Amino acid sequence: MYLAADKTKPEGAQLEDAHCGDDVDLAAPTTAPGGKWQTFPNSHISHHGAACCDIAHQWLIAFDYAQLNGGDVLTGPRWMREQSAWGPTAWPIHWCEAVGAKTVDCGVHAAIAHEAFVARGVRAFRAQFIQRYSADATASWRQNWGKESVSDHWIDGEAIYHEGNAILIGDDEVKLWDGSAGWWINPRGDAGYGSLAAVRIEAPDIDGFADGLLWGERRIMLNQWVAM
Amino acid sequence: MKIYVSGLYAGGNPQPGVGIVRSLRQGYPNATIVGVEYSNRVSGIHFGKLDELWIQRPWSELDLDAYGEKVREALDAGGLWISGSDLEAMWLASVFPDGHPNLLAPPMSGIKRITKPVVEAASGLPIKIPTYLSTEHSDWDLHAFCREHNWRVWLKGPYYDASRTPTWDTFTAVRNALSKVWSTEKLFLQAHVSGYEESVMLSAFRGELLGAVSMRKRDITTEGKTWAGDVSEVPASFMEPLRQMVRDTNWTGGGELEMVRDASDQLWLIEMNPRFPAWVHGATIAGHNLPALLVQAATRVAAQPVPAVASEFTRIVLEVPVRPDYPLPPLPEPFAGAVGHSMKHPSGLTSLAARLHEIDPHMLDVALAPDAAAPPSGVAELPDTFVADIAAQDFDAMQTPQYIYMDTTATSLFKRAADRAHSLSTNGVEVISGYSIKTNPDKRLIKLALDNGFYAEAISLGEVQSALEVGFRPDQVILNGPGKWWPEGLMPRETMHAVFCDSIADLDRVVAAVAAGDMSAKHIGVRIRTPNITSRFGIPLDSPTTFAKLIAAVKRLPNDSAFGVHFHMASSHVGVAQWWHLFESMLRWCQSIEKLSGRTIEMLDMGGGWYPDDWHEDQISKIARAAERVRTMLLGVRQIASEPGKAMAQPSMALAMRILEIQEHEDDYIEAVVDASIAEIPMHFWQPHRMVRQCAETGELQPIGRGKTHLMGRLCMEHDIIASNVQLPEGTRAGDLLIFCDAGGYDRSMSYVFGRG
Repeated sequence: MYLAADKTKPEGAQLEDAHCGDDVDLAAPTTAPGGKWQTFPNSHISHHGAACCDIAHQWLIAFDYAQLNGGDVLTGPRWMREQSAWGPTAWPIHWCEAVGAKTVDCGVHAAIAHEAFVARGVRAFRAQFIQRYSADATASWRQNWGKESVSDHWIDGEAIYHEGNAILIGDDEVKLWDGSAGWWINPRGDAGYGSLAAVRIEAPDIDGFADGLLWGERRIMLNQWVAM
Repeated sequence: MKIYVSGLYAGGNPQPGVGIVRSLRQGYPNATIVGVEYSNRVSGIHFGKLDELWIQRPWSELDLDAYGEKVREALDAGGLWISGSDLEAMWLASVFPDGHPNLLAPPMSGIKRITKPVVEAASGLPIKIPTYLSTEHSDWDLHAFCREHNWRVWLKGPYYDASRTPTWDTFTAVRNALSKVWSTEKLFLQAHVSGYEESVMLSAFRGELLGAVSMRKRDITTEGKTWAGDVSEVPASFMEPLRQMVRDTNWTGGGELEMVRDASDQLWLIEMNPRFPAWVHGATIAGHNLPALLVQAATRVAAQPVPAVASEFTRIVLEVPVRPDYPLPPLPEPFAGAVGHSMKHPSGLTSLAARLHEIDPHMLDVALAPDAAAPPSGVAELPDTFVADIAAQDFDAMQTPQYIYMDTTATSLFKRAADRAHSLSTNGVEVISGYSIKTNPDKRLIKLALDNGFYAEAISLGEVQSALEVGFRPDQVILNGPGKWWPEGLMPRETMHAVFCDSIADLDRVVAAVAAGDMSAKHIGVRIRTPNITSRFGIPLDSPTTFAKLIAAVKRLPNDSAFGVHFHMASSHVGVAQWWHLFESMLRWCQSIEKLSGRTIEMLDMGGGWYPDDWHEDQISKIARAAERVRTMLLGVRQIASEPGKAMAQPSMALAMRILEIQEHEDDYIEAVVDASIAEIPMHFWQPHRMVRQCAETGELQPIGRGKTHLMGRLCMEHDIIASNVQLPEGTRAGDLLIFCDAGGYDRSMSYVFGRG
C-alpha cells in the first residue's frame, strides 16, 4: 500500500498521483475501529503518463476478460494470485511495474482487481480490512518486509491492515474479495487467526446505499470503518 | 435400545457409519450400537465406540433372501437400522416395500423420486439441475452435448461414480467402464457447474422433517469429498419446500442434497443421497445431532441434548487399535507385473449393484425429465444428402477401403455457406468465407470453394500452389501459419489478399520481404495467441512484456497494406460456448491493439475447427450477432473472414470398407475385422462417425448403433480398432459393406499409407 512515508522508491521516479496518502496520520488513536489506519487511504497505482503504463493497463483488462473462460463476471480474478505472489511492494508503483511484477502486496492486488471488476461491468468498491493474526505471523511478515527494505506500517501488534475489493452481487449485497489470498472472505467468520476485525468499504458515490451494503448478515456503512 | 448402523468404510471417500455412531453415542450413551459391515477390511469396524459388530460376507457372496430374513429378525426383535450406504438402502427398500417400523430408511417410492439426474422430488426447492443428456442418445448427440458444454462434462451413473470426460476417447472409455461396473448402459452426461460445494442434510421420520442443517465445504480431498466445513441453519426459503418434499416422499431416515453455488449465487443440485452424509458428525459438533433426532422420533425416547461446540469442523487422521477378533486380512497379491494392489470396494458394492439389477432391471435406471417424445434410438439419422450420395455409388465396382466423395452434400454445404456470407455482408462490412485447404486438399472441394466465392486459406506455399492450380487468383489467397515460407521459391509475386504473421520473427521476415519486393498483400496482420488456452500458434499475449512486443511489432508493419488480425481455435476442441467467449475476448484484445498501436484493424479473420453441425445448424444468429459485435467494437473493420474449416470438409467424404472376418467370443462380444484401418480413419479417437451397413441383399442402408462389437482394422497394430461397442445389424457377414460417414475432414487429409505393401 502506498504511503508518503515509504521512501524506498529510487530517487527520481516520476509520479503523477503523488498526493495519495500524503496526509496519513499513523499516530491516530488505536481505539477507533480502524486502529492506527483509521484515516488510511486505499492504495493507488500511479501512471507514468506514457505508453508503458497504457500497455500494462490495456493488457490487464484484456487478459482478465480472457481468463474468465466464459465464466460469470462475478467470478473472482483468481489468476492474479497466480501471476503475482503476495509479498513486499515498494511504493509508489506504476502500472507498468505493478502488472508484470512477480510479487506484489495487497494494495496492488486490490487496485488491479478493482480495474478488472469495473472493466467487466461489475459494480465494485475498494475495501480495507483489519485482520487478526498472531505475534509469530506478524513478526515473520515484519522480517520479510524488512529484508526488502519496505515499510511495515501495515502491521500493528497482532493486527494487520489489508486491502481487497467489495463487489455488488444484488441490490445492496456485496462479496468481499481478498485478491492476495485468491478467495472471498467468509462473512460468517467470527474471531481468531485470520479473522476480520474491521472493514471499510470506500464508495465515492453512495447514492442508493445510504443504509450501507449487506455482507452476509451484517450491514456495512460506507466510507467508515466498521468493527466486525 | 439396539441400533444397527451400516456404512462403516472410513477411507478417503468415507461412508457415514462412523459419524452416525459418534452422534448416536452422544445422544444415547447407553444404547447398544451394532456396526454392520460386509468386509473385515473396512477400517470403521475397529472404531472403539461400537458395542457389537455384525460382519457379513461381501455382497457378492451373500444369500440375499436369507440375509433379508436375518435383518427382519433383527428389526422384529426391536433393533433399529440406519443405513449408511445408498445401495444397501435400496436393497432394504426392496426387501421391505411397505417399510418396517424399525427400519429408519426411506421407502422405495421415495428413493425412486430422488434418482439422478432429475431428482424429481426436489423440484420445489430453490435449486436448478445442471443440463444433462442420457447416454441412450446417439454418439453423435453425445459428442454435440460435450462440445456445447466446452467438454466440461461429467459422465455419471445413477447412484455412484462420476468421471470428467474432457475428450471423446476419454468419454468412450469411461462409458465402457462405468457400464460394466454398475451393470447398466443407462448413464448420463451432465454439464459441470463451477462454484462452491455445499450440502443440506436432513433427518425425517414418516414424512415429517425432524431437522436439517446446511454445510459449506471448506476443505476438500482430491476426490472432492468434504474434509472440513462450516455448519449453519437452513434458510427458511429452502426449509419450507424441503419440509414439503419430505412430506411428499414420506421420507424416513437421513438424506443429503449435494449442491454447487455458482458465482451469481444460484444453487445447482448435483444429487440427493438416501442416507446421512459422511460429515454427519460435523453437524453434531455444531449442535445439530440429526441421527439422534431420528432415533428419538422412532422410539420416543428423548436424546441427550448436545451442546454446540463449534460451527466449523475438520477431519484428522487417527490410528486406532485393530480388534483382535477381526485381525487385518492380508493384502491381495498384485496382478503379475502390475503396479499396486486392487483394493476397490472391499464390501462388494459393485456386486450388489449387479444383483439389484437382476432383482429389478429398472431399479438403477437414471431418472430423466418426463418427455413426451419417444426415447432416443441411440442411432443418429443420416441427412438426406448423405443417403443420396451413398446411393449414387457403384460399390460393386469399388475396391475398398475407398473414400467416397459426397457430391450433393458438398455442393449444398458450400452453397449454404456462400449464401450466409452474402446475407451477412453490408455496404460497410463484407463477410467472406475462407476454405482451409489443410482440412481436405481434394481439388473438387477447392474448386467448390472457388465457385462459391470462398477465399483460399493456405498454410504453406504448396497449398497456395494447389489453390492457384484450381483457379484461385493470388488476390483470393490468405496465407497463414508458421510454414508460409515453405517450400522455398513458391511465394507468389502478385499481391495476395492477406498475410498473417504467426510470430514476431515471422512478422519481421514479412516486413523485410515486403520491403524487398518479394511479397505483397492487400492486408498484412498478425495472428494472436489466446492466453487462456494452450496453443503453439500466434503471437503470445500472456504478459505485459509480450504484449508490448506485439504492439511494437504491429507499428513496424508496412502502412501501405491494410492491417488485419487473425484468431484461430478449434471450436470442436475447446467447445462452442468457450469459442464464443474467445471471440469476445479477441475483440477486446483487438481494441487494445488498435488503441496502443495506432493502426486500425480493417480485416478480421476468425477460425475455425467448426464441427459441421455447430456451423451449419443454429449458428446463423450467432454468426450474425458476431458480425454485429465486430461492427460495434472495431469501427474500422471492412472485411470479416470466417473459416468454417472442417465444417465444409468433414461431411463431404465417407469411407467405404468391407468386413473381412467376424469373430464371435463369449458374452456376445464380437470382433469384426474390416479392410480399413486407422490409417484411413485416424480421427476415430476424437469424433464419432455416423456408420451404416449396406444390406447385401436389398442394398438398404442400415444404421449401426451401440452394442458389443468392436471393429478391428486390417493392420497388425494393437491399437488399430476403428470403432468400439457398436452393434452390427442382424445378418451381417464377411464381405458386407460398411460406410463411415463424416470422414472428409482430417480423417482424409491426415490419412496415411500403411500396410499396403
